[in-house]
Amino acid sequence: MIDPSIVYDPPRPNEHPANILWVDEQIWGHRLWDSQSSWLVFLELLNLAEACLREGRLLDERGVSYPLNYKPYKRMHLRNILFNNERLTEIALRAPDSETAWTKWLDWMLDNAKGVQSDFSYLKNRFHSFHEFVSLVGMLRSSAVESETNRRWSSRFVFPFGPSGLYEDLNISPSGSPTREYINFGLTGELLYKMLCRSESAEQLRPCLAAMLSGQNPWDKVLSRLQPDSTNDLTTRGISFLPYRTHPTFDRLGEDWLRMCKLQLPGFDSYPFLVTLSALHIMLYQLTLASEWDDESQKPYFICEVLAPKKTLIRELAASCYQKNNLRSLQTVENYIRRIEESQEWQQACRQSGNFEICRQLLIARVRWPRNPEDYDGCNDPQTLLSELRKVAKDRHQQHAGNVHRNYGRDIGLISKRGTNKLRYAPNDSLLKALVLANVRGRLEYNEFLSRMYTRYGLIFGDRQAETVLDKGEFDKKAFQANSERLEQRLGSLGMLRRLSDACAYVQNPFSLRS
Amino acid sequence: MADKAVGWITFLRKYGPIAQNDNMYDEHIRKSSRRLGIRPIEFPHPIEKEVLSIFQADASPPASVILTGTAGDGKSHLCGKVWRLIGGGDTEWASDEIYYQRENIVGGKPVTIHIIRDLTALPDRDDQNRYTNRRELLERFCESIFTPEPTEVFLIAGNDGQLVESWQRLGDSDLISKTRSLFESFLVEGLHEKPGVSLKFFNLSRVNSSILLDLTLDALLSHEGWHECYERGAEELEFFGNRCPIRHNYELLKTPLVQSRLKAIFELCEYNDLHIPIRRILLLLANAILGHPAVKDRLLRPSDIPQVLKSGTVSKASLYNNIFGGNLSETRRESLEVFQNINKLRIGRETSNRIDNILIFGHADENLRPYFDQFLAADRFYGADEAYYAAQHEYLEGTDEDTSNNHAFLELLVGQRRGLFFRVPEAQAQEMTLWELTVFRYAGEYLTRVMGALKAGGKIERPILSRLVRGLNRVFVGMLVSADREIILAKGLSYTDAKVCPLLEERISVIPRLGERMDVLLSNGKAVLRISLSTAISCDLPLNLTRYEFLSRVAEGALPSSFSKECYEDMLAFKSKVLRALSERVQSQDETPEMMFRLLSIDEHGNPTEEIIEVSDD
Repeated sequence: MIDPSIVYDPPRPNEHPANILWVDEQIWGHRLWDSQSSWLVFLELLNLAEACLREGRLLDERGVSYPLNYKPYKRMHLRNILFNNERLTEIALRAPDSETAWTKWLDWMLDNAKGVQSDFSYLKNRFHSFHEFVSLVGMLRSSAVESETNRRWSSRFVFPFGPSGLYEDLNISPSGSPTREYINFGLTGELLYKMLCRSESAEQLRPCLAAMLSGQNPWDKVLSRLQPDSTNDLTTRGISFLPYRTHPTFDRLGEDWLRMCKLQLPGFDSYPFLVTLSALHIMLYQLTLASEWDDESQKPYFICEVLAPKKTLIRELAASCYQKNNLRSLQTVENYIRRIEESQEWQQACRQSGNFEICRQLLIARVRWPRNPEDYDGCNDPQTLLSELRKVAKDRHQQHAGNVHRNYGRDIGLISKRGTNKLRYAPNDSLLKALVLANVRGRLEYNEFLSRMYTRYGLIFGDRQAETVLDKGEFDKKAFQANSERLEQRLGSLGMLRRLSDACAYVQNPFSLRS
Repeated sequence: MADKAVGWITFLRKYGPIAQNDNMYDEHIRKSSRRLGIRPIEFPHPIEKEVLSIFQADASPPASVILTGTAGDGKSHLCGKVWRLIGGGDTEWASDEIYYQRENIVGGKPVTIHIIRDLTALPDRDDQNRYTNRRELLERFCESIFTPEPTEVFLIAGNDGQLVESWQRLGDSDLISKTRSLFESFLVEGLHEKPGVSLKFFNLSRVNSSILLDLTLDALLSHEGWHECYERGAEELEFFGNRCPIRHNYELLKTPLVQSRLKAIFELCEYNDLHIPIRRILLLLANAILGHPAVKDRLLRPSDIPQVLKSGTVSKASLYNNIFGGNLSETRRESLEVFQNINKLRIGRETSNRIDNILIFGHADENLRPYFDQFLAADRFYGADEAYYAAQHEYLEGTDEDTSNNHAFLELLVGQRRGLFFRVPEAQAQEMTLWELTVFRYAGEYLTRVMGALKAGGKIERPILSRLVRGLNRVFVGMLVSADREIILAKGLSYTDAKVCPLLEERISVIPRLGERMDVLLSNGKAVLRISLSTAISCDLPLNLTRYEFLSRVAEGALPSSFSKECYEDMLAFKSKVLRALSERVQSQDETPEMMFRLLSIDEHGNPTEEIIEVSDD
């Protein structure tokens, strides 16, 4: 069971008036959001980090667990230039000279830009020609994060070159004013930031993160040149809640970040790995907490198939392991409610006269439901009320937090259908690369690598690890050995494994400073 | 007399790919040797002298020795030699104990010498109570190697994986992890000794396989067993008569051309970091001489010869094909690492138009006829025989819808291409596009003009260097640039490893200029490509054969990711290192990033051009 001393008191109910229930939130925080891609989680984190850096409190909560108020940018000028500006190239092509082009374009922007108070004439003096301006915009646009997705323009993001390119997700109302929605930035990035704050590596990570946000590169400068000098577009945010003071999963997340930063990859090359590893740790956080709440001694594990040309036993085990894990968090929600039902308090309440009202109040105190009359319109019976709660909680969980495992897992390449029609764990090359980069300093003996993958992430590739978690009936040594050999070949083809002889191989990090 | 010759061939078969327990290999050979009264094929190991010298009475100071390497590298054999040197007896050694102990004078002092001939087999408890338990013994070893003048020394043999694993299992005390990381650096960095450590570390897998091949060939070919065979004075159709394939294979193997090509194959494996131990070399050679797909174990016995000659299947005993395990079943061949390694060159499967034209049409084409006669018709054993002409006719003229006959001819072609690989003399190598018979078209060049030149203390030629630069540039930039006088470092907007990199970062001169340069050098016997950014900052890329081929092919127009994903990844990682080194240089010169972009594009000739965009700062 969870140690109560590491759990923070939840925020007061009126802080989250729109929340109809407080169950997922108490277990995992407010909130794990399934439809936020791993890149957007990362961007949300950077926004929060940048705002904190600006106020001199990067990765430092100063003992206040809630709220962590911060002021992210909106940067409407920049976003209009980059993503709400379809006539740009056309004007550049048709206009006879730079001057005419500027005039035409500025004119067009007056009618079409949204959510801005002033015009774009400041740009004219900042570039040698309209042509140069257009080619820079074109390049920045091509760098957009997840440019292949079909999001509305106000939810598109330029690559996080630095603070000048960071801004929060917005919707544009029909009247043209920007409003904050929690669809693409669903607060999971804020949770991630808080996890880093509460990890053992927070202190060491501070300079790394500060460097990422320093904007010491030409691209960030260009981004700032695309915007008016003074923008006063800050609004205070900060309703996320992470219930735990400390947790080993936070520490592991922090360590992985630190190791990536210490590799000193050039430019922004470490970002995709940080994105992948962060989402992996969020997924692990969810499953680890689920098993801790349920008092399970076995920590979560993932049997991973290293893609085989034909169907193997491992594929089946990986698929069934996936299915089990995918239902894992739902089970925790059910158990959470079962524990309420089995609690003395509830039992007592049921026995009293006027029990329904007492039970209702009890639930409101425990799970903030049914606060509003429309939340529950069933009969006045505590059992029915509880059944309804169970249903509401499960439905709600399945709509969002319950999909985190699957969605994040697919997003980072841990879960896939490749070569079959069933989802299972089958890590792709970029995930493997991220794992090697974060775990191998110089080199690591192959078996040690396998055991590290298991102890840190629960990832199972080889027979030794599989043997510890599987029943005799399910375990097949040869199949797992073959799986581990395939992993070896895959790592080899990524230039990350060196075989010394038939008995000895080292996983190597080709980017490591130690040669 | 006759029996001895037959006995020798019977004995030689034991070295070949016949089913036997691999762990008992040495004993197996020794037993046969005793039974048949034939001397085993033996030669002093290249490091034998050095290892023995460490245990001499005048050696100073005493030190322990670790012998590691792949199975079949000759570790236990060397242990036996040391045992005899320090006065141990043959019978004791033959008892197949794992642990031996003896007092002797080493370096002028009495020292206890422990010999562990197979680390994994070391029992936890000694039945003679010479050590308390395995852990205690190994800890004593760890202590002794960090003692300057140890009073006990160890000789431990074990393959590299076992070595690492045994020490992992011992736990994490300071002494043990210190020893473990010492092993690791010995293994990975290929070191032999370190100051302050009383230990010499010999990784037998680092001994060059082509040197081992020379020694093994010599020991095998000069064995007195062959003399016995000649002494028989056999009739034409008998074993070791002048039509006997065993005799022909033996004689072929003695020719300098066959030996030099075989040696080239081994060198190429070596340059691709594939080591072939002695036991597997013996297996390969025994199979080369005795292989035939239609006899028991697919290895000829003297008694098979009359039947083989009668049935006209001599050509199936071709040495050229046997070298690649062509006489074995596919599964057997693939289970043997030596053939796996050698077949990575794909000799027989790769070809050029010229070669196939000679093989297929040469008989009937007057221009090609001389070559056909020289390389195929002239070889009355393994050249074009009746079966070949028949299959060729069927392939060219046949109307049969059934294509299985074609398949048979294509298989014959594989054998003939292999034959060509060993028959084409050096002088005709270029004309005959010899190296196109392997997957590495640039292999010949790599052997002579790169490794050969470097080992002779020379430099590689400018055109080769230019080609490598062009290859690197095409990977680094992701466009078909043809610049070969400077390394072009470019990156994508957000990532440095983008497929196409439109932002020019820096140009590094290949010809020495202000500390910048690019060279190919020799380091620890291997080629290394070095890009220097200044006199103090440089990056190295080990340039093995595969990478050399990769860069050469990319330079000639191949797409980087189509040849080898591994190489492509390696090059991107290298680029990342160079870029990191570049930022180091920028920092040391205290330059601040400017508001300027260098956009890279290429003109129709592949020349890189740059357009500069500046953004005003005010």
